[in-house]
Amino acid sequence: MACRRCLASLTRHFRSRFLSNAALENPQTLIFRALGPRTLRGPLLNSFDSPAGFGGIDSLQFNITRHLSSRPTNPSDEEEEDEEEGGESCEEEGGEAQASRCVVQRGKSEEEKIKEASEIGYKVTGPLDPSENPFKPYEPVFAVVQIGSHQFKVSNGDSIFTERLKFCEVNDKLILNRVLMLGSKTQTIIGRPVLPDAAVNAVVEEHALDAKVIIFKKKRRKNYRRTKGHRQELTKLRITDIQGIGKSANVATNA
Amino acid sequence: MNKDKIFKLAKGFRGRAKNCIRIARERVEKALQYSYRDRRNKKRDMRSLWIERINAGARLHGVNYGNFMHGLMKENIHLNRKVLSELSMHEPYSFKALVDISRKSFPGNKVPKKEGLSTIL
Repeated sequence: MACRRCLASLTRHFRSRFLSNAALENPQTLIFRALGPRTLRGPLLNSFDSPAGFGGIDSLQFNITRHLSSRPTNPSDEEEEDEEEGGESCEEEGGEAQASRCVVQRGKSEEEKIKEASEIGYKVTGPLDPSENPFKPYEPVFAVVQIGSHQFKVSNGDSIFTERLKFCEVNDKLILNRVLMLGSKTQTIIGRPVLPDAAVNAVVEEHALDAKVIIFKKKRRKNYRRTKGHRQELTKLRITDIQGIGKSANVATNA
Repeated sequence: MNKDKIFKLAKGFRGRAKNCIRIARERVEKALQYSYRDRRNKKRDMRSLWIERINAGARLHGVNYGNFMHGLMKENIHLNRKVLSELSMHEPYSFKALVDISRKSFPGNKVPKKEGLSTIL
């Protein structure tokens, strides 16, 4: 259901108000404390306990179940997520490191086609997070970003639930390049329809399933009753950076 | 097993419908049918809520909803109603910029005489 998305947007509003008033070092001190003994995924998930406190436990639980629900990565692949198509002959592939693999494999086509399919969802997968800390304190800048057919008004440090994005794992950096509008305290930039030079950086926080909805159909007096359960697959993104607008400009112009 | 599930879904129902299985079963089935129908209705309701909010926000600047959306379509701005309603609530200056763009592109309304507080905006 949209209940997780509604909760996320509610806590997003409260958090943005809270963090703008409170000391801006709060997220960073939590991150530095967490970086020492924990794993790579630790700082990303534990550092953003919202004041409502709902992020921590849920994300840990989904961290555990992720191993069961996500598809197993192919260990013989290289570090990037290349997936070769089953049924393609060996002649089509480059033949550099893949000539030995003429066996049928699951997944989509080569790297370029994966990137094209990503463009449909308006994201470009950047490199994985190499234990650096891409999170910044809150800035009063917003962007309107489109993913698939949904549009979101995002700001630094927000989390978004979108439809399951296919070619990225947890802790991947994404660049959302379909940006429709940017705004800061002094400037507003409106694209027609897209802004070509703007980009929004995000990190995949988790691949999760939504809460279960029960689909129940009944025709009265006709002895017809059907019950079905459904859990939508979602991806939770954390917005880290908005590029394309001067953030502390003192000029009051409207573009 | 099924009874337990029915009672779990019947929490908060009125009177015997949360305690007695025969009544609870009927009420729960009706509730599930309503939720199926209302998942579709929710999309319609939200859209009309967004349109109300955009209408209110734009009328503060002297443009009604129809002319505002027409101006945006002419300018090839593809912001959807959800985002426009959020902007009209939380980003008043950006929303005013959008209204100005729309009015420049499609001047349908006369600017009303501003009285009192609206002279400040």
